[in-house]
Amino acid sequence: MLKIAITDEHYDLKTTVLNALYAVTDPELGINIIDLGLVYGMTIEANSIHIFMTLSTPACPMGGIITAHVRTAVEAALPGYETGVTLVWEPQWNADLISETGKAALGW
Amino acid sequence: MKPPEEHIPSKRVTIPYYFTAALSFVLTTVLCLISAPDFAGHFFQPKLLAITHLAVLGWATMVIFGASNQLAPVIAGQRLYSERLSVIVLIIKISGIALLVLAFWNFTFTWHTYAGGGLILTAVGLHAINIYNTVKKEEENIISNFIVAAHAWLFITAMIGLMLLIHLRFPFLPQEHLTYLKVHANIGIAGWFLQLVIGVSARLIPMFLLSRREETKWLRVTYYMLNTGLIVFFINGWLLHSEWLKNLSILALLPGLFFYIRYIRACYKSAMRRQTDQGMKQTFLALSLLSIPFILLFVISLSNGNIAPNLATAYGFSFFGGFISTIIMGQTFKTLPFIVWMHITRPDQLPELMPKDLFREHWVKGQMIFYLPGILIFLSGILWKQSCLLYTGAGFMTIAAVWYLLHVLLIIKKLRRHA
Repeated sequence: MLKIAITDEHYDLKTTVLNALYAVTDPELGINIIDLGLVYGMTIEANSIHIFMTLSTPACPMGGIITAHVRTAVEAALPGYETGVTLVWEPQWNADLISETGKAALGW
Repeated sequence: MKPPEEHIPSKRVTIPYYFTAALSFVLTTVLCLISAPDFAGHFFQPKLLAITHLAVLGWATMVIFGASNQLAPVIAGQRLYSERLSVIVLIIKISGIALLVLAFWNFTFTWHTYAGGGLILTAVGLHAINIYNTVKKEEENIISNFIVAAHAWLFITAMIGLMLLIHLRFPFLPQEHLTYLKVHANIGIAGWFLQLVIGVSARLIPMFLLSRREETKWLRVTYYMLNTGLIVFFINGWLLHSEWLKNLSILALLPGLFFYIRYIRACYKSAMRRQTDQGMKQTFLALSLLSIPFILLFVISLSNGNIAPNLATAYGFSFFGGFISTIIMGQTFKTLPFIVWMHITRPDQLPELMPKDLFREHWVKGQMIFYLPGILIFLSGILWKQSCLLYTGAGFMTIAAVWYLLHVLLIIKKLRRHA
């Protein structure tokens, strides 16, 4: 699961983004993308935020809509910031990335 | 990987197919109820031919066409080759089915009948072209191979069907009608339905279960064994008529099926999603129901050519009414809510509704509570030639089908409300 170091110079902004991303849900699983561990990282430079995330499967037909919702959620939480999303496939998404809440929702 | 949003086909190439299929399903079960005693007799009779073709073409193939219009672009990462062609296919197919089913029901063979057969063959051919052109640009992929091969067998099935229709009035084939009817039916069952279900489920099941292990090498074995068996069965059934070659071709199908089950088992065992919903439970129920037609096929193969007609009817019904209809009823509520959701969700707004909010899970379960006893009672009625069992089974199936139609309409209505 995505962790933000308290020493990170953008700690406050990144925490705001993280909280906003809890509102983005995987439509098939009905679980938010943070608890699923789909968000791998983010970078902030000047007025732009970039999210690096994956999908539960590369064949996920909902990929386009999920990444669009990520942009919508971040831009609503931090107006004035430009948001980019990159889908990455390494490391492959696995059970270790899912939070305890996410695991409980998946029936573990 | 490109975001697949831009490959989502428009609703006109999916929703009307689902609606027409649900309507045909209700009509099929109502006709089963009206003609229940006929199922105790020989399978080659007007009412059964009409019901079978309505069920196969109007219900199952219709919903598969709609789902493949949605799924092929997803699998291939391409746009659907032609949306206009899909709309034309639907119109041609509905017209063809109406003409053909009416002709069988009344057992009158006029130019309307042949036009109906011709329209169906045209619709099948055009749909196959559309799907082939959608997936062809993709790198060699076993799932696409299954889908393309299934469509090729469907076209062959439809072509044999049209030839048989002509042969009924103007006999031109050297053997008797029933010899070719077996080829027509079994190629449709194994070449089209079984192969398509294997291909599509091999993609959807690991996706829905979040499986970490997809042993596609077993799927390749399934693909080659299934198609080798089918080619041998087809050539033998059409030209050679050898009993041992027929059994050999069936034997080739069994290991193929075994490797498919092994693939699904590996997906299930490595699933990260351990809580299965009703749609998936129904898919696994359907896979277990597949054992019934295979047991009946084994009994038929022991009968040395003297097959009791009701056994053949039971085989066809258990495959189609049992396996195929159960899997479709379950997968409808795994696919249709997503199709509708994708059309009502805006990318610039976080959704208030999720796909699971667009249908009622307990309705899916309720439908099965009526459908499962329905098919088992109906099957018993066929095997024991008991009209009361056939009426009871058909009654249960009709309730389930009407409920299914209402459920499909409920989902489609949400599309209009949020348009």
